[in-house]
Amino acid sequence: MTYSRLNRHFTICIAVALLATTALPLAALGSRETPDDAQFRIAVFVPGVVEGSPTYEMLVAGVRRAAEERPGTEVRVIEGGFNQAQWPQSMTALAASGEHDLIVTSNPSMPEIADEVSQSFPNQRFLVLDGYLSGNPSVATVLFNQREQAFLSGYFAGLVSSSSMPNARPGARAGLLAGQEYPIMNRVIRPAFQLGLQSVEPSGQVDFRVLGNWFDAAAATELANSMIDTGADVILTIAGGGNQGVIAAARTKGAYVLWYDSSGYDEAAGIVIGSTLVRLDRAAHQRVLQAIDGTLEFGRGEVLGVADGFVDFDTEHRLFQRDVPEAVRNRLAAMIQRLRTSDLVLEMPTQF
Amino acid sequence: MMFNGVEIMTPILLAALGGLFAEMAGVLNIALEGLILIGAFTGILVAAATGSLAVGMVAAAVAGGVLAGLLAWVTSRLKANIFIAGLAVNLLAAGMIPFLSTWMFGTKGVLRFPDLPRMPRLLVGVHTGLPLLDDLLFGHSVTVYLAWLTAVIAAVLLYRTPFGLRLRATGARAESAVVSGVNAVRYRSIAIVVSGVAAGLAGSTISLRLGVYLPNISAGRGWIALVAIYLGYRTPLGIVIAALLFGLTDSLAGAAQGFLNIPGTILLGLPYAITVIAMIFYSALRSTKPRRRRRRIDAHF
Repeated sequence: MTYSRLNRHFTICIAVALLATTALPLAALGSRETPDDAQFRIAVFVPGVVEGSPTYEMLVAGVRRAAEERPGTEVRVIEGGFNQAQWPQSMTALAASGEHDLIVTSNPSMPEIADEVSQSFPNQRFLVLDGYLSGNPSVATVLFNQREQAFLSGYFAGLVSSSSMPNARPGARAGLLAGQEYPIMNRVIRPAFQLGLQSVEPSGQVDFRVLGNWFDAAAATELANSMIDTGADVILTIAGGGNQGVIAAARTKGAYVLWYDSSGYDEAAGIVIGSTLVRLDRAAHQRVLQAIDGTLEFGRGEVLGVADGFVDFDTEHRLFQRDVPEAVRNRLAAMIQRLRTSDLVLEMPTQF
Repeated sequence: MMFNGVEIMTPILLAALGGLFAEMAGVLNIALEGLILIGAFTGILVAAATGSLAVGMVAAAVAGGVLAGLLAWVTSRLKANIFIAGLAVNLLAAGMIPFLSTWMFGTKGVLRFPDLPRMPRLLVGVHTGLPLLDDLLFGHSVTVYLAWLTAVIAAVLLYRTPFGLRLRATGARAESAVVSGVNAVRYRSIAIVVSGVAAGLAGSTISLRLGVYLPNISAGRGWIALVAIYLGYRTPLGIVIAALLFGLTDSLAGAAQGFLNIPGTILLGLPYAITVIAMIFYSALRSTKPRRRRRRIDAHF
């Protein structure tokens, strides 16, 4: 075989590999989990990938649990990948197929996409979690009260900072690392985190930094190093894969990390000392059951928070019990109780 | 700021120095990004398995070298286009690692190795009285000094040895080199392998310092390394300066978020803006040099 023929074969192999790379995700549009005689068909559109994302793992788990409780329900999981520009096309294709009674998805940017797609396919029903839209009769949304969630993080940061914990430093300067800036981050999470911090230490300041993406852990390390160098002893990290870089910096320099949305204590024992929770799996489970039963109210945007049991702080984890002093735990529990009983109300804005 | 900047520049410097060898041999190795990924993955796996960071780094260098060797083979023996083959290596790394990760650990997400030894720091506590110089030279992780050392070795190899002379001759005019008895294909292949070794090493410095592997950990550093080669006038010293410039501006952008009331997203563009400005300055400088030389020749006659 001549080199030119080999070269041609190599080029063909590359072309096949490229085709496979682009075609496989489309081909892998989830596996059907029930026979074709399903009475209710659900498509779960994941704007990203499921594995490695606690949020989307909860979404899929919640929908599947609901489907198991209602025999004859079919679930397909479609991963939309990280190219946000592709999501409207993928959602349109799903709606155009007409195969699904309900499309479930989760992301703050998805209500807008569902709204747009529903103009062309008014009979298609959408359930969007972690987003808000009201008035479209085809779309139901559930927004979690991130104002309460960030407030609890800030409050806990203040408690830790003013405690006698080994890495606590006077000055109440807490860090907040965001993967990117977006409306809820700038208008809700950041101010609420500062409000929580200042509820403990009125002079407390938030050192806010942006990573610029959701994966560069090495750059996140340097940003966290810089935050710790300028006095931050507790850092709330909402930076996807970048969170690992914050842990590395905190471990090296002696600081604490707060996790967001899911329990993160096992990520780094003794470093991650606080985790707020969003019960996205519970919301997905309950609302999908309502959709199957025909009781879900479309055209309405819900806001669920601590009082509803959908936003919480993981205070039950053994590492939290072990690493956080009792006095801090008690003060945090008292604050959570005030939110649960609506003694303290922090309203979540719905327009950004 | 200087201290963080030096740490940031390390993987870029290592990858760029490796890429310089390929560039000098007349090959633009666009596979650096994928080779860094392979090095990051292999390095942390082997280090975790053996409990030795040094063994992990050697394994990363070997893995990068082997994959680059494959690239050299398909381009030199099978006459594949270097850009297509380089792109294939990047795709291969991006596809193969999640596959292996799922197969070995059941996840294609974050791989944590909490028992991994920490990267040692050298010359801690040494002071000259000049804070900037202290931050530049002392207390860094061992990989920083490895990168400095690699720059010196690269300069000696390229400019003070017959090997370097032949390599540069291959890149400058391959036909003339062949006529002089230099095996250009072999020198190009060696240069590509060297670039793979350095990129693999660069990858290991990222993952071993973090103690984790996560998807896309290279975060574009292979591409930045390619820019650093040209920004640094294709010389080891120039590349050190270019990588340091990038590291410092990146560090400055991060630190400035803490004290400037400018949106972080805007400040994050600073390193790239400075890189573009430097590239324009570099191009302008290069274009004026021949004109000056011509004027000098005209004046002479």
